[in-house]
Amino acid sequence: MLRLSLKNLFARKWRTAMTAIAVVFGIALVSGTYVLTDTTNEAFDDIFVRSNERIDVTVTPKEQVRQFDGSVPAFPDRFLKKVRAVDGVEVAEGSVFATGSILNLENESTGAPFAPQFISSGLAPRLSSVEYVEGKRATGPGEAALDLEAAKRGGVEIGDRIKLVGAGPARPFEVVGLTQLGGASFGGTSIAQVTLSVAQELTDRRGRFDQISVGGDGSVSAEDLRDRIAEVLPKDLLVETGSENADRQASEIRDGLSFLSIALFAFAAISLLVGSFVIFNVFSITVAQRTREFGMLRTLGSSRRQILATVLAEGILIGLIASGLGLVAGIGLAEGLSALLSALGADLPGKSLIVAPRTIIASFIVGIGVTLVSSLIPAYRATRVPPIAALSEGVLQTGRIRLWVRALISAVMGTAGVALIAWVLIGDIDGGAGAARIGAGAVLLVVAISIFSPRLIQPMVRMIGVPVRAVGGLTGRLATENALRTPSRTAVTSAALMIGIALVSFVTIFASGLNSSVTDVIDQNLEGEIVLQGPGGFVPIPPEAARLAGRARGVEAVSGVRYGQVKVPGSGERPISSIEPKSVNDVLDVDWLDGSPRQLEELSRGRAVISQGLSQRADLKVGDRFRVLSQAGTRPKLEVTGVLASGNLDLLGDIVVDERSMVRDFGVTEDQFALVKVVPGSEVEQVKDRVANKLDRAGFPTVEVLNQEELKDRQKEQINAILALIYVLLALAVIVSLVGIVVTLILSIYERTRELGMVRAIGMSRRQVRRMVTYEAVITAVLGAVAGLILGVLFAFLMGIPLEGEGFVLSYPIGTLALILVLSALAGVLAAIYPARKAAKLDILEAIAYE
Amino acid sequence: MEATLEQRGQEGSPAAPTVVARGLERVFGEGEAAVRALDGVDVQFERGRFTSIMGPSGSGKSTLMHILAGLDRPTAGTVEVEGIEITGLDDRELTELRRDKLGFVFQFFNLLPVLTAEENILLPLTIAKRSPDRDWVDLVIDRVGLADRREHRPAELSGGQQQRVAVARALVTKPAVLFADEPTGNLDSKSSVDVLELLRGAVDEFGQTVIMVTHEPDAAAHGDRLIALRDGRLVHDAPPVSADAVIELLKTLG
Repeated sequence: MLRLSLKNLFARKWRTAMTAIAVVFGIALVSGTYVLTDTTNEAFDDIFVRSNERIDVTVTPKEQVRQFDGSVPAFPDRFLKKVRAVDGVEVAEGSVFATGSILNLENESTGAPFAPQFISSGLAPRLSSVEYVEGKRATGPGEAALDLEAAKRGGVEIGDRIKLVGAGPARPFEVVGLTQLGGASFGGTSIAQVTLSVAQELTDRRGRFDQISVGGDGSVSAEDLRDRIAEVLPKDLLVETGSENADRQASEIRDGLSFLSIALFAFAAISLLVGSFVIFNVFSITVAQRTREFGMLRTLGSSRRQILATVLAEGILIGLIASGLGLVAGIGLAEGLSALLSALGADLPGKSLIVAPRTIIASFIVGIGVTLVSSLIPAYRATRVPPIAALSEGVLQTGRIRLWVRALISAVMGTAGVALIAWVLIGDIDGGAGAARIGAGAVLLVVAISIFSPRLIQPMVRMIGVPVRAVGGLTGRLATENALRTPSRTAVTSAALMIGIALVSFVTIFASGLNSSVTDVIDQNLEGEIVLQGPGGFVPIPPEAARLAGRARGVEAVSGVRYGQVKVPGSGERPISSIEPKSVNDVLDVDWLDGSPRQLEELSRGRAVISQGLSQRADLKVGDRFRVLSQAGTRPKLEVTGVLASGNLDLLGDIVVDERSMVRDFGVTEDQFALVKVVPGSEVEQVKDRVANKLDRAGFPTVEVLNQEELKDRQKEQINAILALIYVLLALAVIVSLVGIVVTLILSIYERTRELGMVRAIGMSRRQVRRMVTYEAVITAVLGAVAGLILGVLFAFLMGIPLEGEGFVLSYPIGTLALILVLSALAGVLAAIYPARKAAKLDILEAIAYE
Repeated sequence: MEATLEQRGQEGSPAAPTVVARGLERVFGEGEAAVRALDGVDVQFERGRFTSIMGPSGSGKSTLMHILAGLDRPTAGTVEVEGIEITGLDDRELTELRRDKLGFVFQFFNLLPVLTAEENILLPLTIAKRSPDRDWVDLVIDRVGLADRREHRPAELSGGQQQRVAVARALVTKPAVLFADEPTGNLDSKSSVDVLELLRGAVDEFGQTVIMVTHEPDAAAHGDRLIALRDGRLVHDAPPVSADAVIELLKTLG
């Protein structure tokens, strides 16, 4: 029987290939993601192990509360003396490692667009693993070493001058050395090394270190030395062996990047779901077309089991082929992606791609699993074919499920799906568990719709058929009727497209909502006409920038806004912000639940304004006191003096304090952004230019000075960049569903060979035949698109409800949605090209004589 | 193109034959495996006559009809339909010729299952985007006895009814020639007689030209003329006397 399956597949090479393509994309995403993450993780492991190669023990501050940027406050340098005094320590050095900017003299960044840049103090050769490819270590106050990759990108050579920007104004340095870490790049990040005291000054860490690195004298093991050092240091310092420290850093990076692989796997799952619809359809149709063959096999004495085995074996074989192809494509994808990233300057640090056995096994299990599951129901139907079918003519319809059974299954699955999604949304389940449940719920819902859709499509196809008939006349009419001939076939084909379109329209609506919400907040809440922010808005700006801006002519008031995270007992990690009480009401206009702008003006140490969300969550009212854990490890007590109404889109987080408290109690010294109010009557653009010039002259070239429109544009650009990425990934699922339309059409045409021959014989032109097939494809595509749009709008609407309180406003980009519909119709035309040509080329004589 | 076809069609005088085939040869395959399906056939079909083509399997009768109807091209020789040489036409011209000048009835009823009986009958006109002559359509539908079945789909009709729809579809364009390829091959004897009498009636009442391929002597006996082929050559051409005489003729052909 296996021979029969093989022969079947081989005899229908073309169909086999198309069916395999349905899962190849999904598998490629799975294997590509594995290869990419394995390679990246391995490379980062390597970097950290190498950097700690000569270090026996490290001392770092313990992370008290996780900050958005992952930063941990530096610790006082007085502990170095204590460490040096420990028996067994040969050498101990403090060092600094902080984000900053590396510029050439034209104030252009030497880094890749998205990669971070760091300023650090080099370690003595005894502890450092950095090689100097050229030149030497920075020893003088005006000297700096730069990593080789960054130097290459920025076109910097030994003897050239660069500028470094830390927490203060930019300072010029001469490049005296080019560094490398075991030949590996740092994934696009650039690192400049200067002397310790210069680094401390630059990064506002005078008297403080980010790390103490220890080399032992060899008398004790690294573990013993670690324990000895830990004894003399306070508990809020983390003492690790060099390798423990490397492992921890590597795993932190791994966790930090895991969202990426989760997202990619989610898109792989979507593509595979769509692929499974296509495979189900192909198998259903071919089983129906081979009814006579199965009947014949039964008359020859095949058992039902054998029939089941033949069909399933075909499924498994297709899965096998698809998995193999997908695996290879995935490796290619990873290769291509890393090439693309390095072209953008953010090269992954790996040297060669890692294809782990797990990657191969997972690809095959997923590929075969998907095809096997998709072919189960068709295979079962094949076993129901009675021997008498061998004698009957044409395609036999078997296994009609009764309407109420269909409705029941559909209703149960649909309800379960909605319940799963609602559980996550209402129950506020975060992370992977939540995403998995939403995914499972969505799958159930989509399958439920597909099961019932043969009943739904009749009226929908008729409606879509109206314009098609108006344009196409007879061919349009026939296309409509053909689409309805086997409703379940058309339903499944278009449901595959529906999934992709539903997601596309959902993210489109959501992104548009995000855009308009951001615009709303900027319009309604920002009184300041000018905004200062770090590069791309990701990096904080030195507080000096806000002070300088306040002195520019035409500026009435400035308030910096600082961000941090604190732990609120019982409510977990919460965002905190600070404002400048004197000027905040000039630049910000927030909505109040309890209190008034005066509460912001009167903020001082020990007082806080909180958000409506925190007020409900932690049951706090005006006058209540609560304790928080700061990132600096302190536990300040705060009295609630006002409650902000929700609807400010998290502009100020859950807790607002004054700027001085933010520094003293929470250790946040830099502004995330600063808002500038111009003197009434003065020209905003003029003031903006003045502020920008002042900052530039004072050595803050990296601070971006934007008016409100520019700020909106920046936000939109960021949202649209992410949107574009999602579109690309969803395109895979859409392509798979188009392949589904192609295969289904070809199988249908094969079934209608004689009919096509007849209409050609009585005078239908090839053109008319082509049109007829094309219209059918367009109807199927538009059907899927309409269903997808409805579903997408519905999902967006539902997701928008709980977010409404946060100031999220849904907006429906009608133009874009209409464009999706038009593009879907065009995609239908595209999908029809090959089948239509095949149908038009049909030899009339063979077609009518065909039997 | 349509206009030229019309004009050229009118050039033939009423007395001239509707279809003229000269020196038809058709070879399938090449070299050793080559099969001569037609080996020099000259034949004419006069307007308003009902001709049956017979012959044993492999005699070339179907090939002859396919070539006469412009569905296949001869290896050598020419075919003229109403004065138009069709062997030189390209696919588009042939399609228009079939649409405007020819009618077909096949063994398997070949209706579009998605259309109603009436829509199937009107299909050639719809394809040509011509508005139907209602009186003529009603007459044809009435004549084939399907007046009360207009809105039925093929699946709701019996085999005989479906074939009558096919005949009506072939008649509705008033074709120069109606080709029938084993029209009774798939019918019971009662339905077969109905269909043959319909064809006979079309010839007698409307002056329709009919060319029918069949292997049933009873069917052939309905015609005005019987031609027989054997090994690709015309071996008999005379009016049929009776079904029994046809059986005798077939015996001599082997």
